[in-house]
Amino acid sequence: MKPHPSGIRKLGNKRLELLWNDGHESVYSFGLLRRNCQCAMCVDERSGEVILDPKTVAEDMEGLKVDVVGNYALGITFGDGHSTGIFTFDHLRKTCPCGECKEAPLSRVD
Amino acid sequence: MPATNVEESQVLEALKSVEDPDLHRDIVSLGFIKNLRICEGTVAFDINLTTPACPVKELLEKQARRAVAALPGVEQVNITMKAEVKTARGPDTSALKGVKNIVAVGSGKGGVGKSTVAANLAVAFALEGAKVGLLDADIYGPSIPIMMGAPGETPIRDNLIQPKVAHGVKFMSMGFFAQGDQPLIWRGPMAHRAVEQCLTDVEWGDLDYLFVDLPPGTGDVHLTLVQTVSLTGAVIVSTPQDVGLTISMKTLRMLQETKVKILGIVENMSYHLCSHCGERENIFGHGGAKEAAKKMDIPFLGEIPLDTEIRKNADMGVPIVIGQPDSAPAKTYREIARALAAQISIANFNSTKLEVVEEPA
Repeated sequence: MKPHPSGIRKLGNKRLELLWNDGHESVYSFGLLRRNCQCAMCVDERSGEVILDPKTVAEDMEGLKVDVVGNYALGITFGDGHSTGIFTFDHLRKTCPCGECKEAPLSRVD
Repeated sequence: MPATNVEESQVLEALKSVEDPDLHRDIVSLGFIKNLRICEGTVAFDINLTTPACPVKELLEKQARRAVAALPGVEQVNITMKAEVKTARGPDTSALKGVKNIVAVGSGKGGVGKSTVAANLAVAFALEGAKVGLLDADIYGPSIPIMMGAPGETPIRDNLIQPKVAHGVKFMSMGFFAQGDQPLIWRGPMAHRAVEQCLTDVEWGDLDYLFVDLPPGTGDVHLTLVQTVSLTGAVIVSTPQDVGLTISMKTLRMLQETKVKILGIVENMSYHLCSHCGERENIFGHGGAKEAAKKMDIPFLGEIPLDTEIRKNADMGVPIVIGQPDSAPAKTYREIARALAAQISIANFNSTKLEVVEEPA
């Protein structure tokens, strides 16, 4: 079973916190989430090539709105008006920026 | 003779020995016991189940009656069986807010009898006393209006489409967007909008279960459905034939990918009972779906025979569960409906609704 969120908290327009059912906690800045957007405008659907230049994303990017999509993902409206990305829980867990996940890629869920 | 006083706590303690076999908890801590009244030797209470289609309704009633009757001083036990369908869905502002459970019915390929199964299951749930809706989202071959015996247009009131009602089921079909033999020739965005509209612009009212009959495969309609609503789960209809099954697996994986709970597999056209000699013939092989269900750890809900009566009833607009309620296929459908109702209750029991909590930074 892949981990599933048990809690989702949006902290102002700054950060998004996910609590997972395996006890792990992830904290994302909306800037990081915006740079990781997987939508067809940001990542080429066929080649997987990244279209979005991460340098164009402001460090203090705001998150205006977060919605749950079905049972499997989040939809985020960012401060730059971008809202087409669907952030699946699997992808969010893979891109968890905490030290533990970055240092031990094996513990990541693929 | 001095009457022994029966205490409420004694009754509850006795009822704790009765366990729901699906939820694996006793019926007292599950909160099923309501309205307990004791008057001298007479004990009366309600057992409030999670679905009117509960497959163990009689068993629970019998066990509860026996447990309470065994208490000293109890002369009579009056039990009222009730049902209150639970939901794991969160607050919803759309026209779907009164809908407690949305269940998708899918298949890998066309022609496996998915719509017939969906129509019969919906009517079977209604026969158990549940409030049921059926949305025919098959844009390629919307057949529910014919099977339910109510083609024609749907009226609009207060900007909401009014669903049709037949055999105790409220239903809406993509077929209503085009009349007669006109096909629906839609690109993705049109299909997307139509599904959205059928979910949110139809006055479904209060429903315990809304079944969505999906088109075959994994396309726009499926994606829209899993992104627009939080499904309680999905049922896969498959024939025993391996080809049908491999493809069914694709639909299944797509649903798992989007975290939709698979409530079970139904094997349709499982076998044929010869109308002359009564011999069972496994036209498409046998047991394929059951095996696959076991391998993937998914509940197997049952097998429906290939029976010309099922087809005849569907063509006449009267699903067999109501057209020939005493026939073998009708009984099989009722059993599958109860097994499915149990799986829905289990899914709701085990799932928590996700919500985004907003807090100041």
